[in-house]
Amino acid sequence: MFKSFRRDELGFQLLINAFLLIVLLAIVIPLWRVIMTSFTPLDVYMKGGTPMFQLPWQWSLGAYEQLLTHPTFPRATLNSIIITLGGTALSLFLTIPLSYALSTRTLPGRRIIIALILFTFLFHVGLIPTYLLVAKTLGWSNNFLAVIVPPAVGVTNVLVMMRFFEGIPDEIKESARIDGANDLQVLWSIVLPLSKPIILTIGLFYAVYYWNEFFSPMLYLNDQNLQTLPVLLRSILIGQNFSEYVDVDVSQAASIESLKSAAVLLTMLPMVLVYPWIQRYFTKGTLLGGVKE
Amino acid sequence: MSKKIVLHLVLIALTFALLTACAAPTPEPVKPTVPPASSSSSVASSAPASSSSSVAPTAVPPTVAPTATTPKPTNTPEKAVDLEIWLIPTSSQAPAPADNWIGYKTIKDKLNINLKYVALPTGADGETKLNAAAAANALPDFFETVSTTSERNKLIDLNKQGLVAPVDSLLPMMPTRVKTHYNDPSSFTLANIDGKQMGFVEKPNLPRREGLVIRKDWLDKLGLKMPTTVDELIAVAKAFTTQDPDGNGKNDTYGIGGFFDGSWGGGQRFAFIWGAYGVPDLWNWGDPANFGLSVRTPEFRQALEKFRAINDAKIIDPDWATINRDEFRIRWPQGRYGIMWEDFSALSSPANYAKFDVNFPTGEWVPVPALKGGSGKNYLAAYGSVGIFTAVSKKSMDAGKGPAIAKLLEWMASPEGYYLLGFGVEGVNYKLDKDGVVTTEGLSDPKLAWTDASQQANTQMRNQLIYINDPKEVQARYPSSASKNGRTISQMAFYQFFSTQPWLDSIPGQLILKPSNQADLQRYYNENFQAFALGTKPLNDQTWADFLKGLDANVNAAKWEADTKKLLQDAGVLKK
Repeated sequence: MFKSFRRDELGFQLLINAFLLIVLLAIVIPLWRVIMTSFTPLDVYMKGGTPMFQLPWQWSLGAYEQLLTHPTFPRATLNSIIITLGGTALSLFLTIPLSYALSTRTLPGRRIIIALILFTFLFHVGLIPTYLLVAKTLGWSNNFLAVIVPPAVGVTNVLVMMRFFEGIPDEIKESARIDGANDLQVLWSIVLPLSKPIILTIGLFYAVYYWNEFFSPMLYLNDQNLQTLPVLLRSILIGQNFSEYVDVDVSQAASIESLKSAAVLLTMLPMVLVYPWIQRYFTKGTLLGGVKE
Repeated sequence: MSKKIVLHLVLIALTFALLTACAAPTPEPVKPTVPPASSSSSVASSAPASSSSSVAPTAVPPTVAPTATTPKPTNTPEKAVDLEIWLIPTSSQAPAPADNWIGYKTIKDKLNINLKYVALPTGADGETKLNAAAAANALPDFFETVSTTSERNKLIDLNKQGLVAPVDSLLPMMPTRVKTHYNDPSSFTLANIDGKQMGFVEKPNLPRREGLVIRKDWLDKLGLKMPTTVDELIAVAKAFTTQDPDGNGKNDTYGIGGFFDGSWGGGQRFAFIWGAYGVPDLWNWGDPANFGLSVRTPEFRQALEKFRAINDAKIIDPDWATINRDEFRIRWPQGRYGIMWEDFSALSSPANYAKFDVNFPTGEWVPVPALKGGSGKNYLAAYGSVGIFTAVSKKSMDAGKGPAIAKLLEWMASPEGYYLLGFGVEGVNYKLDKDGVVTTEGLSDPKLAWTDASQQANTQMRNQLIYINDPKEVQARYPSSASKNGRTISQMAFYQFFSTQPWLDSIPGQLILKPSNQADLQRYYNENFQAFALGTKPLNDQTWADFLKGLDANVNAAKWEADTKKLLQDAGVLKK
């Protein structure tokens, strides 16, 4: 396979491939170990820790069983799904028009608005004022809005999306305007169909954020019926760590490490499933259509 | 394309509709209801005179299961009082009680209180949540002053901010609880700030529960005796390391195992060595006349020399300074250690012991009495743990909810509250044997036993507000089990042995404030300690003197000692 390379190129290619192989191993080995740990039976683990390889029929689902059969697991999963879907929808609903408007160079006060947005990025208001606003002023304790609304517009995402919209040739928008379309119609009919990659990319960023969000639910959602998956998983793992202070046997099916690993994989799973579907948009060109200059 | 956009918009709208529907309604503003004066006074009148004073209650002998009667519900206020309490749960892996929990219903029926229990996250997250609520003056009615460093210091901070209320007036309303839960003045007065009782100090979760254990089967195999001194312990550890005590033909055992718990010096796990020389704690409580850091005493250095000898001889797991507790608890069931320091339940609870038992059915751990080192007094270790600190928010007290909180706490100490919140429903979740000990034997549905994982939600407050560490209670909480070869593994036996060893009382250490340069001081202390212990730094008069000199010159330990001494003298712990 290296015949087509010159000698100096071959060396370079080997170096690059060796580097990429190391990067690959650095990612795959820990992930593989997490997977193996999550499936390691308790008796095997207590005898010799996690083996690097196990035959599938030796795997134990004890850790998954313990997590999935937790009485509040279904409710917590549903809550996380609601927050993720609702939050992502709201975030895109707000981010897209804002980014589109800011991408229009003729927008009056554009620089000031961008500067103000950047200001919130550089100078974070802090926990206590946010808590006062969300919990006291708005009264959103025990309400998903407390988790969804404050981070609904991500500055980085707005800027990325804005740059993408700026890259759409003005000729396309102008042609629509000549046909009588107003700004909203241009956005809906022209810009959005051309922006699938960026919408899905930013949407994934938002979805991952909401899915993994731990702090806000912990802070604002006291009602256990509103508990989210990250909060629940953390509680389970912390509980395992303090098992000697508890009078009952909290873990009979799996080791603490297996539970931790299973929790990590369960949390990752939805995003891992979604990612391949969206990935092609990450790598696809930034324009689905266009015109020749 | 436009159809797709419309479809997406409809989906977004539906999602929001779902979202709104699933959000819990915002709780109604608290409408405080002040119970009639007769309600509180009737309870107060039955309180012993001594309990009504503003200082901690006088000590009474340890109690057996509560015998007080349930507060009479006859004087309940007309309108129910809403109470929200925030506590670290007993089983954080289990959920909070469900809305239809019988405890809520009973409390509503008997006390006319709408109780809402919120499980605080453990660690820094719980503290952050509490801090945020405090900053917004939105603290719950009754709460644990959670802190990653000191719950007492958190109480002091909240008191400075004027967010907690004195509870002196509530004590006479709960005579039973004062006798059963607040009967240790040395602990209870820790919540007394400037002469006012600003909170409660609950019962600790079994004090003096850890200890030193040794593999008896290894001792027997090698024909060794139980060590009684540090030198004998070192000799036994050498044999365990070099004479293949498990007989597998491999050099895979260490005499001693343990890990550094991140505190000071060697940490609690190796404090038994310093205990043998009378200085197991960071502070030299055993010599009030020369109170200060133990590291300044000659006994501390003698113990350190022994610990260094253990390291030099390679008879201790060399990873002790880097592994954590989880790793340690993987290693000892694998039979790597012959001597270790462990929590009695982590060692001998059925699930924990099974991990060792499966590998070594004939293995046997037995407790080791407190070792002797120098010629002075010896201890197993120091104990300074107290129970959780709880407080009543000023907002709640101002709203007149104090008596309701007292009534609730008193009911929790009554037989009805104690058993219901501590074990569940009699006949369903537990039974009482002929000696009055809670048992799960004979339950019609063992899956409903109070010890079953599925029932943990219903007793989430048991370790925080319910249990009193009465012997019968401890027996129920920590039952015996049988090993693979039929031996009885008694958790109680380990606990009784450990708890009755000579321990150094360091509870007054809860009063000590951390120095402003705590991180630097502790780093300097620990880095030097480990360098001496691991042999990377010579341990002689000169290096030791340099270390002590650096403690003052580099990290100002002398000032911390002087401040601490004055603080303890002012608090009456040390004589002036």
